[in-house]
Amino acid sequence: MSTGARGAVEIADAVRARRTSAREVATAALAEIEAHNGALNCFTRVTRERAHEDAARVDRLVAEGRDPGPLAGVPFGAKNLFDVAGVTTLAGSRINAERPPAQRDAAAVAALRRAGAVLVGCQNMDEYAYGFTTENTHYGPTRNPHDRGRVAGGSSGGSAAAVAAGLVPLSLGSDTNGSIRVPAALCGVFGLKPTYGRVSRTGVALFAASLDHVGPFARSVRDLALTFDALQGPDPTDPACAERPAEPCTRELDRGVDDLRIAVADGYFARLAEPAALVAAERVGRALKATRRVAIPEALRARAAAMVITASEGAQLHLDDLKRRPGDFDPLTRDRFRSGALLPASLYVHAQRFRAWFRERVREVFRDVDVILMPTTPYGAPPIGAPRATMVAGIEVLTRGHLGVFTSPLSFVGVPVMSVPVADAGPLPLGVQLVAAPFMEARLFRVAARLEADGIVAAPVASARG
Amino acid sequence: MSEPVTAAEVQRLAEIIGLPIEAEVLATVAEQLTALLAAARLFADFSLPEDVAPAPVYHP
Repeated sequence: MSTGARGAVEIADAVRARRTSAREVATAALAEIEAHNGALNCFTRVTRERAHEDAARVDRLVAEGRDPGPLAGVPFGAKNLFDVAGVTTLAGSRINAERPPAQRDAAAVAALRRAGAVLVGCQNMDEYAYGFTTENTHYGPTRNPHDRGRVAGGSSGGSAAAVAAGLVPLSLGSDTNGSIRVPAALCGVFGLKPTYGRVSRTGVALFAASLDHVGPFARSVRDLALTFDALQGPDPTDPACAERPAEPCTRELDRGVDDLRIAVADGYFARLAEPAALVAAERVGRALKATRRVAIPEALRARAAAMVITASEGAQLHLDDLKRRPGDFDPLTRDRFRSGALLPASLYVHAQRFRAWFRERVREVFRDVDVILMPTTPYGAPPIGAPRATMVAGIEVLTRGHLGVFTSPLSFVGVPVMSVPVADAGPLPLGVQLVAAPFMEARLFRVAARLEADGIVAAPVASARG
Repeated sequence: MSEPVTAAEVQRLAEIIGLPIEAEVLATVAEQLTALLAAARLFADFSLPEDVAPAPVYHP
């Protein structure tokens, strides 16, 4: 079995028990990446030397009888917008490639290292995270390990695909409008977008600061929980990070779901999707005996406001480069950033006011329900280079932009969401979103654990990894 | 905000903020801006109580 095909818990247990060493695990993971990355293009940089150094550090701790951490020796990758000491943070761009190497690790990377995990590389993404497909013009597209002619989703496509292909058991990604959940669904893995402010963004290249989150990918619920527990908690260096103490989820996994009120979303979240995506959500609902339906009011307006905030903040962040060197941008993002720069400020402020209003409506929904289910994406992975528009339920939609139709209203309001991979969903992977009230991640993990135990969701290593 | 934005309007707006845009992509940017403004219309026409403050909170 390849190293990446083994789970994080299994690897960490083996390292702590000295059945294997972190150095052996890292060497095997690097060999997996060497063998398959050419076909998939998940990694833009492999941190071989660092991986060996960090693995040796873990092995020393084990040899000395000290605690190497819950993720001892577990290889992981990080989307290339996370700072990694000694490596230039690309954020998917050619422009940032000219910058000096980062001085220190991003907080999330450092947290996983403290937990014993071993970074093996930096992963491909859409330029400046502005996309849902990881068809990066500068660094090439990341290919879906289930069908290499199709996209991996984005913008954290390299991170999701690397986990799906079994190159690593864990990855870090970021999510502004769906950039963890969309690739998790299209690649058939678990992805968690925590509550806004639950995980520090320090050392992460921002896209739209009002909406940016970071979170993990994994191929099992327990691996995802262990990783999230290593990541969550206050960080005074990130002004958006909540002061609320960490609330570990790993210990909640076996609590069951009998006391949870679970409902399936209808209305906005049950249309403009291919039947298979809606069937997947219904199937998960049936498995959980969720007969109730709930509507999240004004989700369409929420998505629209998220688009305006994203376009405005993203354009402002890159305005200087848009003026000085537009030719160095990815053609797939440049003109969208430009249009965002031309939006009136009044619309941006109104969008932020609408966000505050919408937050109250969503809080009201969660007074009567604990977890809501809905599809993650409206369809499976489109082909790489797919036409700009496609027909869904008789309506023409943007092939790429519409991938976020069900994810962006939720990141807009900052609630925690996990995308779970539905077992045997069809020829392509499909995901279902589990949504809870702010800081109630533990409920998501309890539901996901039940679904995984019942075989309703699963993330086997993809078969077309090359 | 209901009429499509024209390439000429994009050019004028871009000049005001000093943003150079090549002539051959003005129409593309106009299309993108039209789409954003159409989206904005969905919430901009939605009446909010005056006491709703923008979501971000500044902590001095």
